[in-house]
Amino acid sequence: MKSTDPKLTRDQLQSIVQWVDLTRENELNCGECLKHLGEFTEQTIAGAPVCDLMTSVEHHLALCPECREEFTALKRILESEG
Amino acid sequence: MDSPGIDWMTALRSPDSLEQTEAVEALREILHRGLKVALAGRADVDEAHVEDFAQEALVRVIDRLDQFQGRSKFTTWAQSIAINTAFTELRRKRWQDVSLDALMADGERMTEPSFIPEDIIGSNEERSRLVAVLREAIENDLTPRQRAGILAELREVPFDQVASLLGTSRNTAYKLMHDARRALRKRLSEAGITPEAVQTAFCS
Repeated sequence: MKSTDPKLTRDQLQSIVQWVDLTRENELNCGECLKHLGEFTEQTIAGAPVCDLMTSVEHHLALCPECREEFTALKRILESEG
Repeated sequence: MDSPGIDWMTALRSPDSLEQTEAVEALREILHRGLKVALAGRADVDEAHVEDFAQEALVRVIDRLDQFQGRSKFTTWAQSIAINTAFTELRRKRWQDVSLDALMADGERMTEPSFIPEDIIGSNEERSRLVAVLREAIENDLTPRQRAGILAELREVPFDQVASLLGTSRNTAYKLMHDARRALRKRLSEAGITPEAVQTAFCS
């Protein structure tokens, strides 16, 4: 990627504002999220009530596109297994 | 789905036994099958990639057996590691041409007034105030690495790659961005801009 003339688009500015809005003092990092991703995905598929820890996973997924991509993939696998 | 009849933890920890050999092979097949589902339709993945990812994931799962806490099915936990292994590698390949120098240079240009063009702010007074505070925070409260990180995130460069460029881990890259977001949020709060105002700033 070469250096370009960076100017924000409206969508990008909205993204920054959304990130700031979603920010919490304490958040799970990617490693912590991965540790709980299996449990979170199983509970999501089962429609189980969300506990505090799972809320933290959900929050991390809202902010992290990579972990969200991995959650979607894991969910697809579990759903394919019935 | 856990395979009925296999006690994974016991079997995988039984050194040099038939039980272990059979469990390793069964797990490799499960990971391979799962990865085929997860990666189906991707133009950048062929069968050889799936084989390699399954093999690498198998090694990682066995290395990390002590970390399995039994909160999900064993195979779900193992699949999560396989997906992380495969997607991390695919992202690395896709973004390997991103240069840290270019990212850092562009990050520094975030401090220029033209970085947030007036035409995307419009005439809304609340929005103008919010953007003015954001500009100040980007310039004064963020480090060059945080500015580069935000710009990378806006360009959808994954944390894996940002981490690699900065010579750190994905967790540390996430922390860098978390600290940046906290700094921006603190500055908005100190300026008296409420979370409600932030939420509604771009609704109209």
